[in-house]
Amino acid sequence: MRKKTVMGRKMNMGAGMKMGLLFLAALLTLLFGVGIGSVYVPPVDILAILAERFFGQSLPDHIPANYSVMVFDMRLPRVLLAFLTGAALAVCGAVMQSLLQNPLASPFGLGVSSGAGLGASLVIVSGFATAGLGTFLLPAVSLCFALGTVFFVLLLAARLDRRMSNVTVILVGMVVSLFGNAVMSLLATSSPAHAQRIQLWQLGSFSMREWSAVWALFPVTLLVCLYFLRYAGDLDVMTFGEEQASAMGVDLRRVRGRLMTAVAVLTGTAVAFVGIIGFVDLIVPHIARRFFGAVHRRTIPACALLGGTFLVLCDLAARTLTPPHEIPIGSITALLGAPFFLYLFFAGRKDG
Amino acid sequence: MDITAMLAVENLSCGYGKTEVIHDLSFRVKAGERLCILGPNGCGKTTLLRALAGVIPWQGSVEADGILLHGLPPKQRAKKIALMSQFSRAAFDYTVYEAVMLGRYAHRSGSLFLSETAADRGAVEDALRRTGVWELREKLVTKLSGGQMQRVFLARTFAQEPRVILLDEPANHLDLRYQAELLESLRDWTADGKRCVAGVFHDIGLALAFADTALLLEEGRKLACGPVEELDEKLFNRLYGMDVRRYMRQMYGRWA
Repeated sequence: MRKKTVMGRKMNMGAGMKMGLLFLAALLTLLFGVGIGSVYVPPVDILAILAERFFGQSLPDHIPANYSVMVFDMRLPRVLLAFLTGAALAVCGAVMQSLLQNPLASPFGLGVSSGAGLGASLVIVSGFATAGLGTFLLPAVSLCFALGTVFFVLLLAARLDRRMSNVTVILVGMVVSLFGNAVMSLLATSSPAHAQRIQLWQLGSFSMREWSAVWALFPVTLLVCLYFLRYAGDLDVMTFGEEQASAMGVDLRRVRGRLMTAVAVLTGTAVAFVGIIGFVDLIVPHIARRFFGAVHRRTIPACALLGGTFLVLCDLAARTLTPPHEIPIGSITALLGAPFFLYLFFAGRKDG
Repeated sequence: MDITAMLAVENLSCGYGKTEVIHDLSFRVKAGERLCILGPNGCGKTTLLRALAGVIPWQGSVEADGILLHGLPPKQRAKKIALMSQFSRAAFDYTVYEAVMLGRYAHRSGSLFLSETAADRGAVEDALRRTGVWELREKLVTKLSGGQMQRVFLARTFAQEPRVILLDEPANHLDLRYQAELLESLRDWTADGKRCVAGVFHDIGLALAFADTALLLEEGRKLACGPVEELDEKLFNRLYGMDVRRYMRQMYGRWA
């Protein structure tokens, strides 16, 4: 008994250490993500600018005043938005994979992306997006559409199959997603003037570099992540199969409904601000599990930190590789993600 | 009801959607008893287990350890009845210890940042030792052999600390030695006379060697239920549509 307790503690220490290192890495990535750009701002100067903005301390002489604007009003919100989006998508990916016991599952499979895309395209085509209220109308409408689509998928799945088994949910989600994408393409081709904007949105962008977006996404991400942590034990049990989970005391229908709603809210909010960014939700959970194990109490925080870091790095690549043009962030994640995913998959096969 | 019945099933009906598979079934399992559920393929054995374990809805009355299961919250039910399903693969890399700890789910309150209690750790260690997988506790479940995996699932079932264990063909895909060990640890588990096992077995020989009572199911209805020695062999012949005793003699006769 005593021996095991010691072992257990040692294991947790290791995980705690790793989590601490990951946290440090995330902080450093944020700092350099803000620092690197058309002009390099060293971390010390960034901290000085933050001190100026938050605590009213005067700026050191060697930092030009316009750096303060550039760092605090342009780069920082963008980097934070990237971090929050990455965290949100990765955590939602992990939860979906566990809920559906499928390592290839993703929140986008529930129709989140096609729903949000449809909403965004409608706003763009209608021409309201350019007006002053467009900055918030577009995310609001696409969030509503994302949620509506997910509820439609879940309702339809429940209607077709009272037990709402995983296969039903996956299939219905796929059908509804494809239908939504078809309508989106139809909208894009029927109004060529807006096609390019719709296409850009489909590949994701952090160019909406405003603090308002950060303040909208931050509380949702934090609350939903805490909500997932509350259900960490249920998620662990559910990864071993639906039948066993309900026999072990999980109120399957209720828990699954709640968690899928939470996934829809978080992915929907993230996607509404930045567009569709693929692969983060798919690969980050796998990397997180590799280093932190599959127990959700550790996987979820690890996914949040890793996903955020990953997307900040991707965004850094997107805006610095081909100046002055930006590469769509979705292309970067796919470029890095696809081969990495294949590597993970086959490396796992070999020693498995 | 008599006090010694650990599992009392009265007029149970269940099925999938509008198709009823089990019709008006009643039987009892006493504390300390091991029941085997026998019948040809498609007679509703697995469906019965799934209903008792709360996986599918049912009508009727089921009592476990003196408590009516109808309307009981899933966690409360899981403290009384556990289901050990057929061998299944794990999707993600849990260690054996973590996987067995999941058996404690029903005993934990759903609070934020819940951590294991001493009772949880004690039950898990006991379960790991009972099933002989203590040495494997830090291995990943995805790297285990089928036999090892099945023992881990049994350990998880023990860690749930139920009064009734339902088995769904637990010995399938297992080597002879693992089969024997699995049934031996289940026999030990019921030995204190406070718990019982009800199991579906594909192999009649194995079933009759393990169980002391048998429930014969014919197309979702009870054909007979009673101590194994007292059951008329004609019932077996009717159930399986062949001379069961002769067949068993042919199979095992060479060594007997």
